[in-house]
Amino acid sequence: MAIAEKSGAVPGIGALVNDGRYRAVFYQIVVFGLVFWLIYSLVLNTQHNLETRGMTASFDFLFGTAGFAIAWTPLDYKPNDSYFFVYWVGIVNTLIISVISIILATVLGFFVGILRLSKNWLIAQIAAWYVEFLRNTPLLLQILFWYLGAFASLPRPKSSIHIFGLDWLVLNNRGFYFPYPEADNLFWLTPVALLIGLLAAFWYNRKSRIRQLSTGVYRSTLWQTLGLVIGLPVLVFVATGMPLNWEIPALKGFNYRGGTFILPSMCSVLVAMVVYHSAYAAEMVRAGIQSVSHGQTEAAYSLGLKPNWTLRLVIIPQAMRAIVPPMISLWMNIVKNSSLAIAIGFPDLVAVFMQTSLNQSGHAIEIVGMVMLFYMTVSLTISGCLNIYNSRIQLKER
Amino acid sequence: MSDVPTRDADGMIVFRPKPSEPPPPNTTGVIGWLRFNLFNGIFSTLATLIGLAALIYVFLAFYDWAFVKGVWEAQNRQECRLGKEWGTCWAGVEFWFSRFIYGRYPDAEMWRINLAALVLVLWMAPLWIPRVTAKSVIGLSAVLVFPFLAGYMFLGGERNLFMAAVVPVTMVWFVATMAHVVLCVLTGYGLGRWIIHLTGFGNRSDRAAKYPLMAAAAVAWLLVLFAIRDWTLVEVGTNRWGGLFLTTVISGIGIASALPSGIVLALGRRSKMPIIRVLCIGFIELFRSVPLITILFMATTMFPLFLPEGLVFNKLASAIVAVCLFAAAYMAETVRGGLQAIPKGQYEAAEAVGLGYWKVMGLIVLPQALKLMIPNIVGNFIGLFKDTTLVSIIGLYDLLGMVKAVSHDPQWIGLHHEPLFTAALMFFLACFAMSKYSQYLERKLGAGDRR
Repeated sequence: MAIAEKSGAVPGIGALVNDGRYRAVFYQIVVFGLVFWLIYSLVLNTQHNLETRGMTASFDFLFGTAGFAIAWTPLDYKPNDSYFFVYWVGIVNTLIISVISIILATVLGFFVGILRLSKNWLIAQIAAWYVEFLRNTPLLLQILFWYLGAFASLPRPKSSIHIFGLDWLVLNNRGFYFPYPEADNLFWLTPVALLIGLLAAFWYNRKSRIRQLSTGVYRSTLWQTLGLVIGLPVLVFVATGMPLNWEIPALKGFNYRGGTFILPSMCSVLVAMVVYHSAYAAEMVRAGIQSVSHGQTEAAYSLGLKPNWTLRLVIIPQAMRAIVPPMISLWMNIVKNSSLAIAIGFPDLVAVFMQTSLNQSGHAIEIVGMVMLFYMTVSLTISGCLNIYNSRIQLKER
Repeated sequence: MSDVPTRDADGMIVFRPKPSEPPPPNTTGVIGWLRFNLFNGIFSTLATLIGLAALIYVFLAFYDWAFVKGVWEAQNRQECRLGKEWGTCWAGVEFWFSRFIYGRYPDAEMWRINLAALVLVLWMAPLWIPRVTAKSVIGLSAVLVFPFLAGYMFLGGERNLFMAAVVPVTMVWFVATMAHVVLCVLTGYGLGRWIIHLTGFGNRSDRAAKYPLMAAAAVAWLLVLFAIRDWTLVEVGTNRWGGLFLTTVISGIGIASALPSGIVLALGRRSKMPIIRVLCIGFIELFRSVPLITILFMATTMFPLFLPEGLVFNKLASAIVAVCLFAAAYMAETVRGGLQAIPKGQYEAAEAVGLGYWKVMGLIVLPQALKLMIPNIVGNFIGLFKDTTLVSIIGLYDLLGMVKAVSHDPQWIGLHHEPLFTAALMFFLACFAMSKYSQYLERKLGAGDRR
């Protein structure tokens, strides 16, 4: 009887929930139906709401005139440029503060992380409390603190602060002024030389490594590499007659002219982001170095490796395997957190596009979609690189 | 005397080692510690001196700023400056402090927030008392039942049919929980046992025992429903909520919802059903790859378009929904990390015993995975608590929003440093306590794994 029931061609309704073969399909259809219904009703609602407000969803507005000024951008933006150009300006500004923060936060993080592992108790404690204080207060609060507490209360241009007493590093309430190089005709040869030098150094190092693998003879390539990467471009630069003019900022009237500058808000965002994220980076570096077991050091010593070789060939490669993946997610976080610059009025993507442009044009769906698309592209690109790196450095286990 | 070798009963010389010398005086005790940890070589000594100098400098600067220049009694910012040149105006912080905590909640109604906080503490405290039974029920009800009580206490106003029915339930539940805890501590038997015994059902079958419990609950509910039928609280709109109170409400709801929704999403992401997996991956990746501020802006600008006409979300509700979506996606990835760390043998063994999917997950895999991820989960909570400050950008007056508002007050115009410092201290204390507790919990729960 039981057998007959089981082989019956038509399963009952109960089989949808109780039979493993149909259950999965049934659940998926139910979930898909629910999600589809949700999205469908959202779309219907949105269409209806847009109609009642007399609006249409289209990207035509992107080519209309934006009509507002942007406080700081390295691009040649004017108020009568289009919204699409505003989008581009926002992206460039966001990327600039992100990249600078990423580089400086990583460097500072490595430094603090190594200090945390110092054998000197006092230094280790100072580094540990630096990390604790910064990690346990919100980033937004720190940005406001740097802005309201330090950079917004700087003196007027007349009584500017000169950093390190240098005439050409000027800090006042209009911003931070520094010299800017202006390239002459033949300057393009220098980057070309740098590129050639890099390629040649890469090729030379590869050759010497292959020779070491086949003959066992090690030869230091340090000086040759330095010569190719630094010496060659410098030589070309000097040979072409140093075709760079440094524009020096100087006080003219009520303000500094010449050179270039960044806003006080940008200074505060940069300082706050670097300091805040360096605490996270320091923790990653510390954890990474501690994850290499002490047996590795002892094994390397017993093989006769010198201490600095042990560090270079044994400890650091293994520590990097633990440091790099979280570090790359930290970089992703830095890009995302750069959006907090909006709180103190720095014109990043969210501020110029998602706030000002959205308030002016009212095209919420398109603008929110475009901003999210940018952040998703950056995130997915970075995590794609991370996956490639992870699969390359993964332990080769059998 | 010492030259004479010691001999035993048979006259053999017994080897008697000399007592060991004490270690050199400068390698033990305080001096030894100082030598090894602070003055171990030239570089170490130099580093110690530089570090000490920096510490003293920072401490003196802070002392000077906070205490020497501190002004505690003043009516406005001008008075702060008059007494001492550029005095540190703690008077302003004092004046605004209750606003930092309660926002613009009416003074006469602040007791409601305090009472709700006290109720929550009382509700959660039994979880740390060893003698109390049915802790899972108490803990779950604190998350699922308490919010309705708190919601009514914070909002007040006329109760609609739903709230009229639910508020008495929450009150009865709270009183029953308290009675249960007291009885457990005093007698070792819970409230349920006592009710069954006192009603004479103690010697009946277990099946019959549920009737007196249901009857008692129904009677208590009706009594409370009747007793509070005319009692209402003054309505306080969400636009007056603010300060640490608002920060706690938003992050509390976010934290409470993040764990269950994160677990569901993580299980969905590892599911064998392709449609469910793809939907979960899409949700998680979407909300993890964009900043919270864009989700908040999306919530305030796009939710009004998404919702059917007539249904209006206020700003706070939109922000809470946004925070919950964001928190769920992050928690899902944390839980997934824990799930991946559980060896495959655990799944296989559980399935071999004949457990179904939900039992494998609920009884075997998730308890281990969550235990493993405690530091990360608490780290997530801390992150969420800090990220709640972003709601001040979309115009809600959370703790940071109130702090910024001080400087717009004509009396205290331009007062930035002191309120920001106070808020930083509050955030630091809360987050630091959470992270220290998670470390303690990790040690306690991991005791079985250590050798």
